[in-house]
Amino acid sequence: MSQNLNPKLLQKLTYDLKVAVHKNRLVGLWRVLTGFRLLYLGAMIAIVLGAFTRVYYYRVVQYVIDTVVGEGRNTQHLPWLALSFVGLAVLEGTFAYLRGIWSAETAEGIALRLRDYLYDQMQRLPFAFHDYAKTGELIQRSTSDVDAMRRFYADQALGIGRIVALFVVNFTMLLRLNTRIGLLSVVVMPVIVAMSYWFFGRVSKAYDRYQDQEAKLSTVLQENLTGVRVVKAFARQPYEIDKFDRENWERYHLGKKLLIMHSLYWPLSDVLCAGQTILVQAVSAMMAVRGEITVGTYIAVMGMLTWIIWPMRNLGRLIVQVSTGLVSYRRVADVVEQEREDIVAGSVPLDAQIRGALTFENVSFSYQPMAVLQDEDDKKKDKKGKEKETAEPEKKEEELKPVEVLHDISFRCAPGEVVALLGSTGSGKTSIINLLLRFYDYQEGRLALDGVELKDYPRSLLRRNIGIVEQEPFLFSRSIRDNIAYGVHREVTQEEVEQAAQAAAIHDIILTFPQGYDTIVGEKGVTLSGGQRQRVAIARALLKDPRILVLDDATSSVDTETEEQIQQALEVLIPGRTTFIVAHRIQTVMNADLIVVLDKGRIVQSGAHADLIQQPGLYRDIYEIQSRIEEEVVAEVERGVAESEFTFEPAGVLA
Amino acid sequence: MAQSYGFEEEEFTTKVNGRVVMRIMRQVTPYWRWILGFIVMIALTSVADSYFTYLSKQLIDEGIVARDTARLTQLLVRYGGLSVFQAITVFCFVYLAGVLGERVQYDMRKQLFNHLQALSFSYFDKTPVGWIMSRVTSDSGRIADLVTWGFLDVTWATLNIITSLTFMMIINWRLALIVAGVIPLMIAVSFYFRQRILVQYRDVRKLNSMITGAYNESIAGVRVVKALVREKKNLEEFSDTSCAMYHAAYRAAWLSALFLPAVQIVGAFGIGAVVWYGGLQARNAGVSQMGITVGGIQAFLSYLTFIMWPIQDLARVYAEMQRSVASAERVFSLIDAKPDVVDREGAFDPGFVRGEVAFEDVTFRYEEGKDVLTDFNLHVDPGEHIAIVGPTGGGKTTIVNLLCRFYEPTEGVVRIDGRDYTTLTQHAIQSRIGVVLQTPHLFSGTIRDNIRYGRLDATDEEVEQAAKVAHAHDFIVGMDKGYNEDVGEGGNLLSVGQKQLVSIARAVLADPAILILDEATSSVDTLTEVSVQRGMEALMAGRTSFVIAHRLSTIKRADRILVLKAGRIVEVGTHSELIRARGHYYDLYTRQFRREREQVYGVGEFAAAIA
Repeated sequence: MSQNLNPKLLQKLTYDLKVAVHKNRLVGLWRVLTGFRLLYLGAMIAIVLGAFTRVYYYRVVQYVIDTVVGEGRNTQHLPWLALSFVGLAVLEGTFAYLRGIWSAETAEGIALRLRDYLYDQMQRLPFAFHDYAKTGELIQRSTSDVDAMRRFYADQALGIGRIVALFVVNFTMLLRLNTRIGLLSVVVMPVIVAMSYWFFGRVSKAYDRYQDQEAKLSTVLQENLTGVRVVKAFARQPYEIDKFDRENWERYHLGKKLLIMHSLYWPLSDVLCAGQTILVQAVSAMMAVRGEITVGTYIAVMGMLTWIIWPMRNLGRLIVQVSTGLVSYRRVADVVEQEREDIVAGSVPLDAQIRGALTFENVSFSYQPMAVLQDEDDKKKDKKGKEKETAEPEKKEEELKPVEVLHDISFRCAPGEVVALLGSTGSGKTSIINLLLRFYDYQEGRLALDGVELKDYPRSLLRRNIGIVEQEPFLFSRSIRDNIAYGVHREVTQEEVEQAAQAAAIHDIILTFPQGYDTIVGEKGVTLSGGQRQRVAIARALLKDPRILVLDDATSSVDTETEEQIQQALEVLIPGRTTFIVAHRIQTVMNADLIVVLDKGRIVQSGAHADLIQQPGLYRDIYEIQSRIEEEVVAEVERGVAESEFTFEPAGVLA
Repeated sequence: MAQSYGFEEEEFTTKVNGRVVMRIMRQVTPYWRWILGFIVMIALTSVADSYFTYLSKQLIDEGIVARDTARLTQLLVRYGGLSVFQAITVFCFVYLAGVLGERVQYDMRKQLFNHLQALSFSYFDKTPVGWIMSRVTSDSGRIADLVTWGFLDVTWATLNIITSLTFMMIINWRLALIVAGVIPLMIAVSFYFRQRILVQYRDVRKLNSMITGAYNESIAGVRVVKALVREKKNLEEFSDTSCAMYHAAYRAAWLSALFLPAVQIVGAFGIGAVVWYGGLQARNAGVSQMGITVGGIQAFLSYLTFIMWPIQDLARVYAEMQRSVASAERVFSLIDAKPDVVDREGAFDPGFVRGEVAFEDVTFRYEEGKDVLTDFNLHVDPGEHIAIVGPTGGGKTTIVNLLCRFYEPTEGVVRIDGRDYTTLTQHAIQSRIGVVLQTPHLFSGTIRDNIRYGRLDATDEEVEQAAKVAHAHDFIVGMDKGYNEDVGEGGNLLSVGQKQLVSIARAVLADPAILILDEATSSVDTLTEVSVQRGMEALMAGRTSFVIAHRLSTIKRADRILVLKAGRIVEVGTHSELIRARGHYYDLYTRQFRREREQVYGVGEFAAAIA
């Protein structure tokens, strides 16, 4: 559908929003307008011209009343005058229409550009960012904050512009008609504007409280629904009903307060506006009686006055809303200004062939924690909870210290070899994989692929040549076919997909789903078991046909039958590729060409199974433990058999 | 995305259903005084609005043109008085309608929530939480808006049109007739546009939720996206959606931009007619004779200029009403849902339960033709401990659900202390069964509140006593605020193990005769693990217990072990009997044993253990 966009808009979409980031929010918002400024200016001009047509409408009325009806002159012009009202309406309508579409084109165009940019930003920001940013926070900034910015351009800025334009044009015209009346027409104005600003400021605070209460009520409801088993099991329905009622009543109460504020503001501001009207009405009526102005002028004055006074009541609301638009700009800019990861930079050509020989030489790597997207949250915290104020900064500094996770890692492997990385959680296995894919870059040492430093490879080239099957693979909520073909950058035939699925031992299962390969995965479709997800991921990796393969020890969480199937699928996948197996059980790694035993970020042993088993060390200890466990299993079974019901010992491991 | 599960947000039916409207009306009849009140107030406001214009006409004709200052002053005073009067009526209707709106929402939410508490487990099993939440939160609001601001706007608009026409008739009936010809046209144009805008915004909302979904997925799956270098393709796909959103939103804005000008232009023909005809009359008859006065012309112009507001209000309310009625339909469908499990007539509370449980030939299915439990027979003596093991989907949870009477057997009988449990009240059963879930559910509030959930009238000492029995006391007093520590939403400020301990303490306090424990599969940290084990043991002592067991120690300790597979008992007996049988249990046990030993030796997390 992007093809349907007109080329001008497409070109505007290429604008790099990073340039638009500025400390001053108004400057920033002005820069975000880049490419749309002319349109937006057009919308503003349409507003001003619209205000003029309104004024001219009253001028024509004035002429009709005074000249045609009053003096009885030029009556032959009457049909033309009548038509001119239609003409003015058409003109005013046209301006309103132009303002509408131009502002929509601007605001929606800006929103589109922001959405696309932020979407791309999400997938191109480095892990260093994603590790520390909260998903909910990112989504909120990309959706509600973008919408707040859209409303800023579509409604608020133009709304203020409209009120100001109506005021200036009508006021000028009134002054020209009669200076005294003109000046009189704005005496109450400052009071109205001030009151409206004050009121909407307070209302927005009261509204926040009301919304907070609404959130509280939702939490009670949600906890009740998700905990329905507990509620029912303890037969706590009456208690829940009371709890909900308390929050519900509080919400009613806050809503009532809010409504009372509204019910006072509107009549009060009505009275003020009416007072202003009556003041001008009285003075100009007296002037008309005395013949200082004509009846037509009087009518025109009263008409214009309406457009000065009544819109002003909404000015305060718009000003208050603009401030939320400014906050949203800041929140969006925080995400936009983050540095992206370049996936094409690198001296190795993008179409280079990779064989898969890897050399790690004294590689060390530390995570650099970042403080991302926290400013707004912290500000909120400062306002709300003061308890932690003193403790906070210290803690943050501590968190931001780099953490070394890999130290002095050296090993090498030839193309097509299988390397097993053995180690506990936190030993650095995953970090090695992360370096391999350049999810992070190492700080010290040398990591070479086919003899060339890894940092010289464009990230996209590397990643296209490495396939990963993770322990808990992520599937997208699209069809199974799309999921399998997800990593391939060309058109894929149904046969290819099915072949991959067959090799991954998932084809038959897919066919049992009502829609086969078109079945949607996830919330809106079928839920796949862990083993099934894994095999889809294997099919995905198979189809991608990578030079280097990374397998996260997959089989720990599935039953024996599935384990065997996955194992078989892997046997198809591995041959001919440099393969890294991330594992923590010896059985899975015994056949590897190289076993690297990791502990706390260091290599403690490495070699083939046959060698490692000969030397004293961690590997042999583990191996012996595994054998010992097998012996224990036999013993345990014998004990179980021997145990008669009479000598049953109630104590388990804990005794 | 192609699939529909019956819980898709179908926003509105195209027709406004009369029965539903009547039912909404019945919902608010208790508040008829309020409704009457704001309708009277808005009616007065509306009439005053029209009268203002008429006053302005009098002011011109009788004051200015007649050069009568006394009359002028009198009219100005009347104008001022009317302004004050209208301020009062405005205050009244905003207050009455606004507060009533909040009240109606309060009532509906209360009614919905109370009804939800009565609904059976099956309802929650098949209805997404999000769907229910929308009914209680947004739909109730939309209905309240309809019966307050909706009624109010309709009343104001209708009366405003009628009174404006009346005043125009009084001023000049011939001219009024011409104008009356324009108004239906304006109404038709308004309704046409409103309807189309409404439909357009539905597309916008749909696309908007797709966009949010896309963001969500790209962040959650960022590792895969990067590893598979999908950035470019993904952006292209996303652009399709975001461009569709642009087009839909632009179209909605385009319709809105056409809407008011179109109505205004139609109105302008009326104005033109007034000027032409009025001017002619004035020429023929001279000013303020038989025909129309200057003030009259001005009044007509005013009426015609401002009549587009009530007209477009009517169109708006009509459009919103379609959404509100659809909301009401969904809300009523929730209210009409009947609980599957209800107390039989004459159901009683036996007062004391020993804890003898029997399943007799119990068969259960959620849907026809798919038994999840078949011919299940089990007799459990008071105080006996039963361990239930077997693969996922074997029917373990179903037994728990039946025992708690969340569901009732499709065939067969469940007996408690020898009585068919359908002769007892649900409350009698559920208040004597304690449940500790695998993923414990806590409620926002303090630890103390959460333990007290087991018995609401427990004293602080009793709460602490229960925590001590459950081995939870130690970790609780270690927290900053001890028992008053906040557990966060859903308890997420506590670790899983801590949540388990609190939920065990909760069950201890409830002191049930029958206990159901769903053991956690994944191990929590060792220290809490030991506490959880001891807590469970203490809790089970002396009670009939059913444990969906994963830990060998728990399984071995049980008096009897039940191996369930595909809805049937495949093996039953003590640990040693079953080991000797070398069947399913043997397999399960040795596998699990191996896993546990690996953990003990730290082979899973080996390095740490060895070092």
